[in-house]
Amino acid sequence: MQLFFQDLVNGILTGGILALVALGFSLVWGIMNIINLAHGTFIMLGAYVTYQLFVSFHLDPFLCIPIAFVVLFALGYVTQLSIINYVVRAPVLTTFLLTFGLSLLLENVILLIWTGDTRSVTTGYSGAHLDVGGITIPLVKLLTLVIALAIGGLTQLWLARTKLGRAIRATSMDVGAAQLTGVRVAHVYAIVFALSAGLAGAAGSLISVSYAFSPSSATPFLIKGFIVCVLGGLGSVQGALVGGLVYGIVETFASQYIGAGYADAVALAVLLVILVFRPTGIMGRATA
Amino acid sequence: MKTRSLALALALAFAAVVAGPSVSAVRAADDTIVFGAAVSLTGSLAKEGHLTQEGYDFWKDWINAHGGMKVAGKTYKVDIKYYDDESSPQTAARLVEKLIDQDHVGFILGPYGSGTTFSAAAVAERKKVPMVEGNGAAERIFNQGYRYTFGILSPARRYLEGIVDMGKAQTPKPKTLAISASNDLFSVEVQQGVVDYAKAHGIDVVYTAKYPENSTDVSAVISAIKAAHPDIILNAGHTNDALLVHKGLKEQNVQAMIYGYSVGPDTPDFRNALGRDANYVFGSAQWSDAVKYKGEKGFIPSAPQYAAEFQKKFGHKPDYHNAESTAACLAFQYAMQRGGSLDTEKVRDALAKLDVTTFFGILKFDSRGLNVFKPMVVNQIQNGELVTVWPAGLAQAKVAWPTPVWAKR
Amino acid sequence: MIGIAGNRVAILVAALAMLALLFVPLAKSDYTNALFRGILMYGAMSYGWNVIGGYTGYVSFGNVVFFGIGAYAAALLATHGITDIGLSIVAAMVAAALFAVVLGIPVLRLQGHYFGIATLSIALAAQDLISNIDAFGATNGLSPKAATLFGAAVPYVVTYYAMWVVCALALAGTYAVSRSRLGYALVAIRENEGAAAVLGINPTKYKVIAWAISGMMGGGAGAVFVYANSYIDPATAFAVDNNVFPIVMALLGGVGTVAGPLLGAFILTAINETLWNHFPFIHTLFFGAVIVIVVLFLPRGLLALIAARRSWSLYVQHLRAYRV
Repeated sequence: MQLFFQDLVNGILTGGILALVALGFSLVWGIMNIINLAHGTFIMLGAYVTYQLFVSFHLDPFLCIPIAFVVLFALGYVTQLSIINYVVRAPVLTTFLLTFGLSLLLENVILLIWTGDTRSVTTGYSGAHLDVGGITIPLVKLLTLVIALAIGGLTQLWLARTKLGRAIRATSMDVGAAQLTGVRVAHVYAIVFALSAGLAGAAGSLISVSYAFSPSSATPFLIKGFIVCVLGGLGSVQGALVGGLVYGIVETFASQYIGAGYADAVALAVLLVILVFRPTGIMGRATA
Repeated sequence: MKTRSLALALALAFAAVVAGPSVSAVRAADDTIVFGAAVSLTGSLAKEGHLTQEGYDFWKDWINAHGGMKVAGKTYKVDIKYYDDESSPQTAARLVEKLIDQDHVGFILGPYGSGTTFSAAAVAERKKVPMVEGNGAAERIFNQGYRYTFGILSPARRYLEGIVDMGKAQTPKPKTLAISASNDLFSVEVQQGVVDYAKAHGIDVVYTAKYPENSTDVSAVISAIKAAHPDIILNAGHTNDALLVHKGLKEQNVQAMIYGYSVGPDTPDFRNALGRDANYVFGSAQWSDAVKYKGEKGFIPSAPQYAAEFQKKFGHKPDYHNAESTAACLAFQYAMQRGGSLDTEKVRDALAKLDVTTFFGILKFDSRGLNVFKPMVVNQIQNGELVTVWPAGLAQAKVAWPTPVWAKR
Repeated sequence: MIGIAGNRVAILVAALAMLALLFVPLAKSDYTNALFRGILMYGAMSYGWNVIGGYTGYVSFGNVVFFGIGAYAAALLATHGITDIGLSIVAAMVAAALFAVVLGIPVLRLQGHYFGIATLSIALAAQDLISNIDAFGATNGLSPKAATLFGAAVPYVVTYYAMWVVCALALAGTYAVSRSRLGYALVAIRENEGAAAVLGINPTKYKVIAWAISGMMGGGAGAVFVYANSYIDPATAFAVDNNVFPIVMALLGGVGTVAGPLLGAFILTAINETLWNHFPFIHTLFFGAVIVIVVLFLPRGLLALIAARRSWSLYVQHLRAYRV
């Protein structure tokens, strides 16, 4: 029974980070209708920025989150205006391949800058934990979950309350109508893409503390981002958060009770079933 | 019109690619012997591929700086032609084919990793070109009846045996063992090997698990290990796995007598990434600079000297991936110099008969082409330094025992 | 996209190129054979993708699953002593087609991104499952002995000719589809599935048939690959390269055309090979850039570029088309 609750805790904590991984991915997919295969690589860039700041300036990784966010935000903005903007309305295939090409390119750049070494950020307090009735709660991951939820909440508030946020939501519903009411769609898209990259950067910061990474680690996170997005439904902040938590729990329990080797296969099977029977995700929000 | 000109341009471009830069020295053209190697410069094995290349390059420059290699009265320089296999077995096979057919390389140095080595070995066999490899430890490669592939390293099954032996010599004696493994060719063999070995030596195996290769989260595995209360916690995987598991063990406050990893502790990455948490960790290694084997004249004299020269050249201490790669080159050197010929068939026969001691240890192959004669060593990280602690005869320091609680490492 | 009849000249060139490829082994170089066998393999896979992704408009991101299933079908037969390469190809095609039918019925109901994600998940899940099943060799993989034909051992070069046959079948099959009622039905589904249904076309039936044909092309290539590589493991069978290359090739040559995939396979292989030779550390960087450039400037493929009179204006037109 203790193991059961430990798994539940593990699943929720893992899910928190996956929610943040998926959040930016989901925004671009839901609002711009683009599957950004470079999202995983953006996350890795965030992790490397954090690692570099930690090594060079002994900056606490949690303090690096805003910096990683800003760096990736800028990169995202430039990428959108210089490249992605030219294919925003193109068919799925075009954007899929374009972003795949980008991810290859960026991964190679990461390899050239930071070499293929496996990295991880370990601080003085890493591994600190609470003990609640025999169940261990790692504090760093708990903090990660709290930060992920906070970032999700802030994003949601921003989308709902600010003028730009409302313009973004209007654009996601009807590009033509938004244009007619004076929304500068190119600018809105650039902001969405930049925000998504920024969120990837923040996720990267958090990943650098809890996990190990190398230039080729982007793919597993990208795939999990996919699954979480579809689970929760596209383009919604709540969807990404709920999807992330559900995925984290499913994966952890599958690993424990079906067999660790099958963890990914089970998660993918769940994804397929949801796609076929409830393609709008478990949250049920329909998107275009 | 346009179609035709385009077709023509394409045909020309393609002919140029195919006929391409096959100018590089033909096997033993004049005075240079060219070896070929497909190593991982990009992809998931980029790190280890880089170490492999350093090991090969060390030997190349060492030989050339020492006046070259003397075969049948003639002195040759050596050179190595590299391609990037992208950490993919399919690509490795293609590139080995390219090295042999297009670059006319007569001798192949292996890639990094069991999967890539396996597919490269199939090509070497078909082309009847000898390949010596120091980085593919899965025994399955050597159970195919291949005649042209020689592995100079101890097989995967034996990787973690040394840690079990070392543990049994301590008091209090560990009684139970848990091992998790990344689900890949190499790691699964490592796991199977140590499970069999532990059972045969009276240690109770309380938990085994295989998790998917390139996993990002293994917290469920860690919880299960914790619930099993093992004395020895082992992991079969690569550096990424070692970091992930070790961080997870600390997070969930899992206490044991031994934390041992098949790959990881030997690389500086591991110590850099974990800081103090890396202390007391055991890692098995094919080699360390503490080994006392003496090489013959002209074949790199000793491990300390290798380490010193390597450090000077590359700016870091050699780890066992470097050393085993260099040793693979030495096997060729012996076979060529002792066999007195550069004929691929004669070099192969000389390799099969090889029985020498180098700075790396014994180089000798069983009938399958695998070096089952060389023991492994066990290293431990003590105060941030990697020291050899087992076998006792080679120990640079005593085993730090027992492992204290996490906060006191 | 180019009309369904395709560019007759291009088809003729493709057919002639296929004929010319028959003579590659005369160079007596295994590497040259391997290089062109790679073109034929990716060509066949690209044709496979083209049937579903090009003609039918269902963009699959997991067609590598058919290659993997074909490869494992052949390798499993070999472990039971059946190494006839012809039989292996047929068995692989049947296995892949069956798989396509069984999974196609639920999955082909999905559209757009959702279909793409579902197919990608299928490929990933297949790799994960096979990695855990001992009968398939798990992550150890399988290593079949040399191929035979009608009970006799055959030289290695036969893998080249076998791949040629698979690619030729894929080319001929694509041509036949493009000229048939099936082809018209598929294009009708691509242009407007609802309207096609109104016209009396049963979309589900035709989509499943298209995916099964798609699967057969990839499966056949997988079967030959096993004998060419003499080793197959899950990571190789379902490799990302094998998933993405065929798509980029179809796009480069021309999606939904008869000649496009082969043309794309030629050019992309040539580009990749050149980069490999000259830039061992940064070839993926260049390769990524090539994909970006192709997508931005040639989203309709080279064939469209050739067909257009004023090709320069086409570049600009492409760049303007999808911008906001």
